[in-house]
Amino acid sequence: MPVVKVLTQGIGEADLRDIKVYRDRGGYKQLKRAFTEMKPADVQAMADKSGLRGRGGAGFPTGKKWSFLPPDIRPRYLVCNCDEAEPGTFKDRMLLEETPHQVIEGILLGAYGIESHHAFIYIRGEFKRGYEIFMEALAQARKAGFVGKNLFGSGFDLELTVHRGAGAYICGEETALLNSLEGKRGEPRLKPPFPAVQGLYSKPTVVNNVESLAYLIPILEHGPEWFAAVGTERSKGYKVVSISGHVQKPGNYEVPLGTPVRELLEIAGGLRPGRKLMAIQPGGGSSACIFEEQLDLPYDYESLQKAGSMLGSGAMVVMDDTTDFVRAAFNLVRFFAHESCGQCTPCREGGHWLERVLHRFLENRGLKSDIDMLARVSHEITGINLCPLGDSIEPFLASVLKRFPEQFEARVARETVRA
Amino acid sequence: MTDFAALREELKPECEAIIAQYEQPRSALLPLVHLFQSHEGYASADALRAVSEMLDLSLAVVESTVSFYTLFYRKPVGKYMLQVCRGLACTLNGAEDVMAYFREQLGIGHLETTEDGLFSYEEVECLAACDRATCMQVNLNFVYDLTPKMIDGMLAAMRTGKHEIAPLPQTQAPPRTWTLRQDLQVSHGEKSAGAQDQSEPNNPGGLDRDGIIMVDRILSDEMRFKGRTKERLANVEPAMAEAIEE
Repeated sequence: MPVVKVLTQGIGEADLRDIKVYRDRGGYKQLKRAFTEMKPADVQAMADKSGLRGRGGAGFPTGKKWSFLPPDIRPRYLVCNCDEAEPGTFKDRMLLEETPHQVIEGILLGAYGIESHHAFIYIRGEFKRGYEIFMEALAQARKAGFVGKNLFGSGFDLELTVHRGAGAYICGEETALLNSLEGKRGEPRLKPPFPAVQGLYSKPTVVNNVESLAYLIPILEHGPEWFAAVGTERSKGYKVVSISGHVQKPGNYEVPLGTPVRELLEIAGGLRPGRKLMAIQPGGGSSACIFEEQLDLPYDYESLQKAGSMLGSGAMVVMDDTTDFVRAAFNLVRFFAHESCGQCTPCREGGHWLERVLHRFLENRGLKSDIDMLARVSHEITGINLCPLGDSIEPFLASVLKRFPEQFEARVARETVRA
Repeated sequence: MTDFAALREELKPECEAIIAQYEQPRSALLPLVHLFQSHEGYASADALRAVSEMLDLSLAVVESTVSFYTLFYRKPVGKYMLQVCRGLACTLNGAEDVMAYFREQLGIGHLETTEDGLFSYEEVECLAACDRATCMQVNLNFVYDLTPKMIDGMLAAMRTGKHEIAPLPQTQAPPRTWTLRQDLQVSHGEKSAGAQDQSEPNNPGGLDRDGIIMVDRILSDEMRFKGRTKERLANVEPAMAEAIEE
């Protein structure tokens, strides 16, 4: 079994919320090392060399993202994205609540790496407990001299501000997050300019996921080669995968990228006895399903992309033969319709109308012509919005429409409106 | 000094500290509204006005921003805000039964408050606790692995004030359960549903994205919108729902 303990090390064994426990286990050593022995450019080079890709959903190489910062514009900001709300994902909440110091250390390393003197963490509004735990940890770190002025005598000042969201999935999108952090409605911005050039307060800004930043610590400790040696050609290192749905042992499991999906299923205890696998959504609510015959796919960015799906935030939702796929499709479409910020017409109206048509199916009042229409409309929404939310409606819906047309047909009442 | 003026005075140092954290004061908008809501139980009109003054923004800007976020309750809510997860992983594990059970036990539906002002009920999107499905939050505290028996025990403990989760502060009595008749009053100009100063009638939190405006349209000739509120109509006014369906 390839389950590893890198970021998840010590969770459930020790009280990692206590700075003393965290430090006894080697915590904040890499931070000290970075500030006393390394230049920011060294940290950046290590992030780049490790091949670390963003763990929040888009999978963009972290080092490359940093390299887009214009060299001459200051101040720069680092923002840690902890607005985890992708359906099926619960890894960032675990990291926040169980190892808050690891999150802090990751953010501080990232901020040092990009020479930012003010970092932020945006915590999802629903994570009230996580926020309280983090504030407590931050107070401890501040007292220990890891946050504030002249860290480790290096002359480098670094402040960390905690910002709580207030209930909006879209604020996980980086430009929406920045607007929300500026005290505005969480509406995504037109890109370009990208945040690296014009982000928070129109200054160069890097937005990184909690897990991405936390991985900087082991990368510094063991070296980028250690991280890059694991995984596949273009998907390096480890990943915390959230597995839920119809499995016997749902939970967060840290594995090397490239682990076959079949093994992940086994790690999570497999299906309930006597059940048959119908579909797996491998990368959160925005990803297309993969099916039984694809179980040997390696769980990495490019393999899943090649199979027409994506790794996304690393949330695997498993569905067995008790699943009503019309209901599941309705559920996810309703989610995206509900969370649309409303700026772009295709996403705002398309999502809403798809939800209503699917609701008609739920009441066994579907039209035969609706089945094609669902596929067509969801496809036409895609690719013409400011942000990827509208594009997230199609993958799951299209994949189940194609795979389980009989479930939709069974709920058809008439051919067309007039028939 | 009114109650709110006293509260504002008391929170002044904390507000100033929050604003000082940011390079631009407007960034403090969400944290300030969170702060006032944690004392008043909801984001009151007074609070929004105070925030607009502190940040030197127009009230419209503050209201527009606040209305974007579902966790800011723009109307008084019950002492226990019950938010049940309706995400995919929870649904696969029986969330619909759990939600039906809550509706039955509380006698209210999505986005409504019980007559006694104790419970507000909402069905929310994925709460990021899929490994412990089905789950919910009570006043933003997680409750996992829900079963009918557990729900019975929890509601009973809350009714007798003995539950471990602290009730929300309640500076204003929450509005009664929203009914279609009240919708009609609104649409006929008696009460303004969006007005901050309304103490009643209204729905909890002012969170309903569809109902209030949509009912206006149903009552006018735009019948194509009728489906949206059908479910809610069926709950509160079956005869009306049927009439519209015809």
